[in-house]
Amino acid sequence: MSSSTSARDDEAPDLVCQIDCVHGMVDALSCVRWKRHQDAVLELSEHGIVLIVEESGCLQAKVYLKRELFMEYEYAAEGRPRFGLSLGLLVDCLNTFSAPGHSSPVEIRYPGPDMQLLLKSVGSPDSCMYAEIRTRIPDTISWDYHFEHAGNTPVTFTVKSAVLKESIEDLEWPGSSIQIQMQPDPPSVLFKGEGHGDLQIEFPYYANTDLLIAFQCDHETSYRYKYKFLRATTSNFPNSIVKENRGSKVTIGRGGMLKIQHLVSVARPGCKVLGWDLKRAQSIFLLLLKQQSTAW
Amino acid sequence: MKFKAFFTDDGIALLDKRFLPAMDKVGRLCHVYLTPTHAMLLHNLLGPTGTGPDGGGPQCVAQFAKDLLFREYSVSSRNGNRVAFAVDVALLHRALRSALAVHAQSPAAGDASAAIQVKLVNKLPAGSRSASPFLTFETKGARSAVVQDVPISRPLSRSDVERLQAALDSAQELPQTLVQVPDLPQLQSLVDRLKNVGDLLTVAVTQYGDLHLHVATSLVTVGSEFRKLRILGVRATAPVGDQNLSASTRTNMAIERGEALSVQVNMKHLAKSLQCHLAKPDCTFYGISPGGACLTVIFQYFIPGTRLTDKSISFYCRLPVLDPGS
Repeated sequence: MSSSTSARDDEAPDLVCQIDCVHGMVDALSCVRWKRHQDAVLELSEHGIVLIVEESGCLQAKVYLKRELFMEYEYAAEGRPRFGLSLGLLVDCLNTFSAPGHSSPVEIRYPGPDMQLLLKSVGSPDSCMYAEIRTRIPDTISWDYHFEHAGNTPVTFTVKSAVLKESIEDLEWPGSSIQIQMQPDPPSVLFKGEGHGDLQIEFPYYANTDLLIAFQCDHETSYRYKYKFLRATTSNFPNSIVKENRGSKVTIGRGGMLKIQHLVSVARPGCKVLGWDLKRAQSIFLLLLKQQSTAW
Repeated sequence: MKFKAFFTDDGIALLDKRFLPAMDKVGRLCHVYLTPTHAMLLHNLLGPTGTGPDGGGPQCVAQFAKDLLFREYSVSSRNGNRVAFAVDVALLHRALRSALAVHAQSPAAGDASAAIQVKLVNKLPAGSRSASPFLTFETKGARSAVVQDVPISRPLSRSDVERLQAALDSAQELPQTLVQVPDLPQLQSLVDRLKNVGDLLTVAVTQYGDLHLHVATSLVTVGSEFRKLRILGVRATAPVGDQNLSASTRTNMAIERGEALSVQVNMKHLAKSLQCHLAKPDCTFYGISPGGACLTVIFQYFIPGTRLTDKSISFYCRLPVLDPGS
């Protein structure tokens, strides 16, 4: 063992936290597992854990697991430690902890003696499950996903998550490139696909109050996005998002940067939310997608 | 070479509801081996080595006392009155289910005279010039009698039967220590999930009653440890103060002290052997054969309504051990 490792052994780990049920965490992380071998970066802070995934230089997803999600959260690092790992392995490992009949809380610890991410079931003295995931120095994250509102008023709409997912799936037929257009008069959102054929899906604000939960736009805005990345923003939704069907918030920022925010329920399935702070039971899943012209 | 018998009600229910579904999941083809005292369903016993499980898959043996499955059991051959042949498990199960369905319509169902008869026949199939062997089921229903022929392989040669018997005899050597796994479906669910992580599983059994399973690749190690399990055979007292150590450290120390054995098996083989839970055993024990020759899983059945071992059923699997160097 090297002396630097021995020195580290004496120090408290950067993070020791416990979650009572990993099922929701698996759901939230699966949202951004677009391919089997997907790399991710984890960033730890006193506020929680952020998982960052990037695809082809034009789509970035962040899953915020706030410290309130955890039963215990002991953070002892200075700054914000960041490390890379395989998202696929993390999800597969967490999945082994969520086997039916296995409901022990799971402790997450970083770093291990060899800079691993350590997972361990706690609470049962006679059976124990553990995982050690090798981490690596993260690739440089592209920080040009800086999101700014285009004007004084944010251009944004909130739509039921299931409707957004269904609409984007329908646009697969024309495929290729999708135009998202928002206009203040009459207030509406238009998804327009042009490729093998034309397809338009319109969400008029006044026509159905259940459709668009919120709408804000003071000038006409229109940008194009590559279909396969737009689809990635909703394709891996866990069933819980579709079932609960809360809103997904879509905002178009300066330069056509598209920001989509979903709420993922992380509470134990079947657990009543009564007496449980609703905010505690959710993690935020945020995606930023560059418009097509700047991405290519 | 002759074989003829009537199924007992318990026997046919055991095969239909428990053993054939389990054997079907382990492999498509199995050997049926009939001796004057026992009837057996066997998977993978005729491997290249003949004496131990080979890389082709887990050995699986379901052995029944003849009186448990049959009445008026008669088997005769010039090879010590032993007969063995291969059969497609799914076909055998389908024929058995259908025979049971016809039998259920019979007004005399439950009456010994209406029992389902099974026999070995040589028949000329339609459109063929040479006779082929079949296992024939004869059932008498309310208005009809149904005869079903399940095609089987040619009976095994004298030398193959000897190899089969030798493999069975060599499997009699029990592991020194066996630990009881409390919840087989839970273990199956764990192994199903571990399959995503890696292909090779290391299994360790300690004399303190610990079962430790882990998968290690260059990127990840995932493991599960079950402690204080019921022990059969050689046992030792766990060292004081080892509860604060990690599962891997504890297992390694036990191996160094000679109080544990560890082997590496193919994850798919273990997953297949776990399908044996479809045969609804009352207890399941894991052990490692002396010298780490194979991983043995023994399923135990109780006499209904008691906690006494039913000695008329013997059901076990032996998993080939992989050479870590290869």
